[in-house]
Amino acid sequence: MKPLDCDLEAEVLALVLQSGWPDRADAGLREHVAACAICSDVAAVAGALDHAREELRERVTVPDSGSVWWRAQLRARREAARNAGRPITAVQVIALACAMGLLGACFGATSAWFQSALAGVRSSLASMKIHTLLPSATSLIAGHGVLILAMAALLLLLPAAVYLAMLRE
Amino acid sequence: MFRETTFTDIDRARTADDAVAEFVMDEETFRAFYDRTARGLWAYLARITGNRELADDLLQETFYRFLRAGAAYNGESHRRNSLYRIATNLAHDARRRNLARIPPSVAGDDIERVPSGRGAASVERTADFTRAMSHLKPRERAMLWLAYAEGASHSEIADVLGLRPASLKAMLFRARRKLAALLGRAPERGKP
Repeated sequence: MKPLDCDLEAEVLALVLQSGWPDRADAGLREHVAACAICSDVAAVAGALDHAREELRERVTVPDSGSVWWRAQLRARREAARNAGRPITAVQVIALACAMGLLGACFGATSAWFQSALAGVRSSLASMKIHTLLPSATSLIAGHGVLILAMAALLLLLPAAVYLAMLRE
Repeated sequence: MFRETTFTDIDRARTADDAVAEFVMDEETFRAFYDRTARGLWAYLARITGNRELADDLLQETFYRFLRAGAAYNGESHRRNSLYRIATNLAHDARRRNLARIPPSVAGDDIERVPSGRGAASVERTADFTRAMSHLKPRERAMLWLAYAEGASHSEIADVLGLRPASLKAMLFRARRKLAALLGRAPERGKP
């Protein structure tokens, strides 16, 4: 089995990270690195990475810590206010739905026209037989199959799309 | 002129102040921590994403999520690991979203556009390094950067990248071998 590390690897790495490789390394260590594939890889890779890091750190301009703190505060406040507003919106939606239901019930209970229409629908449903419905349903599907499939897909996909859009928001 | 205020507004303002109070540190501590870590973290993000504009955005997002994390930290090292773990996860998410848009062969070229006052040799060395890094997998780039640019220990790297410490040594060895070969200093499949 190939060895994955070397006892002197940490020493080589420390010298590279302190910018002391190869100048501050003793002759013995330099000889070892020349012969050891692990240590020579460490010296080469760590040297390149350290150089790249220093280059980037010197050139980069990061935003001021004060502005990052200020933006974080602003965002936290905005998110908290939005979260606090969310239950109120939910309650409003439920209340609206209840009111609509109540209105519908009142209308249904008091309207003579609605009562007679409801009775008509009920009687036609009672007289309807499944075996007479099947041929007409089959012919409908055969005639407008694509349209029915598109509507079914829309019914399935629309809630999923709304859910995903809300999730992203 | 005073703005008309309702009870709902007062409640919301209180909730908002509570949200800021939930930050893991106060402003003074945060600013000191930011000044110590931001440049190094930006360099890490730039190297693992290969895109400096994305690194700018992810830097801000990382610090924000760090502040909102609500975790208790045992010390500077723990805090730093947490910060790098958040950054790694954000970079991973960003890469998954943009995978179709960024061809891997050019990942990293963008960093070269950061203005430099250095000599041609140094610029060439950095360009060679960027080219070599762009051939590595994002996890290999992160692993090598943490180990050899940040000087992180194996357990710290495993913690940041969500890997098992036992498997890290072999993964790091392979990634190092690969980069050394790409830099032209060692055969990739040679005997160690």
